Amino acid sequence: MLASIIVSGLAIGCIYALIGIAYNVMYSASRVFSFTAGTLGMAGGILGSLFILKMGLPVWAGFLLALAGGAILGIVTEIVAVRPVLKSLDQHLYVLSTLALALIVQQFAAIEWGTDAQPFPRILRFERSAFDQQYWLPMLACAITIVGLEMLYRRTLLGHAFLAIAEDNYAARALGLPERNLRVASFAIAGIIGALSGFAGGQMLLAFFDNATLLTFYGFVPVALGGMGNNRGAVVAGLVLGLFQQAANFLVGGIFSSVAVFAAFILVLLARPEGLAGVALGRRV
Amino acid sequence: MALTRRQALKSGVAVAAAGISMPAIAQKSPIQVGYLPALTGPSSSTGVGISRGTELAVQEINKAGGIDGRMIEMIQRDTQSDPTKAVNATAELTRAAKVSVVFGPLNSGESLAVVPILARQNTLQLHPCWVDSLTDVKKYPMCFRNAPTNQQIGHASNRYVVEVLKKKKVAVVSDTAGYGTASLNAYVPMLKEMKADVVYQNSIDAANPDLKPELLRMQSAGAEAIMPWSVNAGFLSRIINTRGQMGWDVPICGQTTLGSGQTKALLEKPEYWNKVYPNNFKPVCYGPGGKLPDRTNAFLDRLKSAKVDMSDTLLWWIALGYDSPNLIAQAMKAVGPETDKLVGYLNQLKGFPGVYGDISFTKDKHDGYLDEQVVMVEANSLKDGAFNLAPGYSAS
Repeated sequence: MLASIIVSGLAIGCIYALIGIAYNVMYSASRVFSFTAGTLGMAGGILGSLFILKMGLPVWAGFLLALAGGAILGIVTEIVAVRPVLKSLDQHLYVLSTLALALIVQQFAAIEWGTDAQPFPRILRFERSAFDQQYWLPMLACAITIVGLEMLYRRTLLGHAFLAIAEDNYAARALGLPERNLRVASFAIAGIIGALSGFAGGQMLLAFFDNATLLTFYGFVPVALGGMGNNRGAVVAGLVLGLFQQAANFLVGGIFSSVAVFAAFILVLLARPEGLAGVALGRRV
Repeated sequence: MALTRRQALKSGVAVAAAGISMPAIAQKSPIQVGYLPALTGPSSSTGVGISRGTELAVQEINKAGGIDGRMIEMIQRDTQSDPTKAVNATAELTRAAKVSVVFGPLNSGESLAVVPILARQNTLQLHPCWVDSLTDVKKYPMCFRNAPTNQQIGHASNRYVVEVLKKKKVAVVSDTAGYGTASLNAYVPMLKEMKADVVYQNSIDAANPDLKPELLRMQSAGAEAIMPWSVNAGFLSRIINTRGQMGWDVPICGQTTLGSGQTKALLEKPEYWNKVYPNNFKPVCYGPGGKLPDRTNAFLDRLKSAKVDMSDTLLWWIALGYDSPNLIAQAMKAVGPETDKLVGYLNQLKGFPGVYGDISFTKDKHDGYLDEQVVMVEANSLKDGAFNLAPGYSAS
């Protein structure tokens, strides 16, 4: 039973962590908390199933097209829901604009794709086992994303530019960095990460329009617990969330497991409002 | 004539447009019947299937001259599997369109919200929802049910598990929707009355992607049979798949959706559908020798000639959808479209010969489906939307 809790908990936790990272990548580039992160995850699952099962494309082609779809959705998010409200960040209009876009995309998926959960293909032709691909694929996707982002941010000029606008976008602009293009690129990367989470977790979550709600909700928890903009915090918090959720499923079962998860979430935030890995900012008076 | 959700939505718009463009002085105005299916949303599989039968029935009735020369016009509104939207649609149908009869909603969660509203507005209602409280001759004297009650469904399932399969230790689970929790609350006491030991019961979030913890808890509690109550194909398929992954040889008995095409599509292996026994209805099941009753065979031929798609739905849904407008039309042909006369007619209805089953009402009983028509079937025998009776059932 313990092995099962760990395997499925880590797998689900990795999906949550990836959605949390997508939230963070968009937040770092724009200071906008975009509620389209869960929708990106839903899109990855639905597009993967569409391209591979419905259209019969090879897995690699379906995978790349699903990621491309996520990137496009990320860019659309920046243009439609983020850019128009950047001038009035303090009014938090992005909550409405990003939530509205997320709902539009979700309803569009419901109408075009259908409202029943639909199958997601087996990615690799391996026999099913206790440590099945449905569990290790999300873990692998999460590991690749963490390593990839670390290398991008630390080893490349482009990554340094991303960090610069995340630190202080006024100063970055003053230095001549193309802030808007970098922001668009960040949203495209977030779209790819979100779609990757839905694709890698497709065998667990199925291709289902309402996964957007689930992922928006549970993907938010690692961000809140790990500290906004903190990818390492989101990964750790996502894994802890997955393990805690599965342990609660085993121990109390049914709807009580959700109650246990959110009770713990509220308690943690009461104790550390800035998140477990966040830093409390002093307020200048 | 494969009705998809999108086509159903378009046909709803077309029906509305036809109403707008109707000439001011018609020779004989159509009889408007309100229709409240869920064509989208998580409970839409039922609505999409039923609508295929409803559409065919209305076409046939109108082609045969309608009711004394008046055509039937179904004023359809998609409830989107949402009780709030169902309530809004009901208000529109009764106040703006002023329909005199409403067929639907088709899901219990929506009907729980709509039935009291239609009762207050003295509108005749026919619905196929199973939750017991959805008919009450005193509170809702104009509301009739042409389908089984939860008690009848539960009794058939429980009897099959306890008396035919001889399983005494049972796990009963549901999703958290209105129908699921109502079923769980109704069936657990029934099982206990039959001296079964309910070793595990729980309502589970249908969005939960991993149900292994739940099944391990059932297994460690000693369950010999699992009875899941939900219309959510994703939830039911996860239970079946998890049982298969665990190699747990325990029968799964319960809701008809266990045997639906949507559930089948989500199974990891076809053999996982073995030992899954959903509820179904004898008039639309293959009997010994693999034959359907004559009435149903004739209906199947009509469906095939009308090119109604049965690959992704169940025959009983289409049959129920087909019978309902015919039942309303028979009543209107007999006594006219006035509500009071229709209610009086239905209160004395005896043996309406539906494809889905015979229906009878009395003024004291508005639940028209017969106990003996509710049976259990083998999920893996699905062919043309119908199933073989479950092992041991036909002989019992």
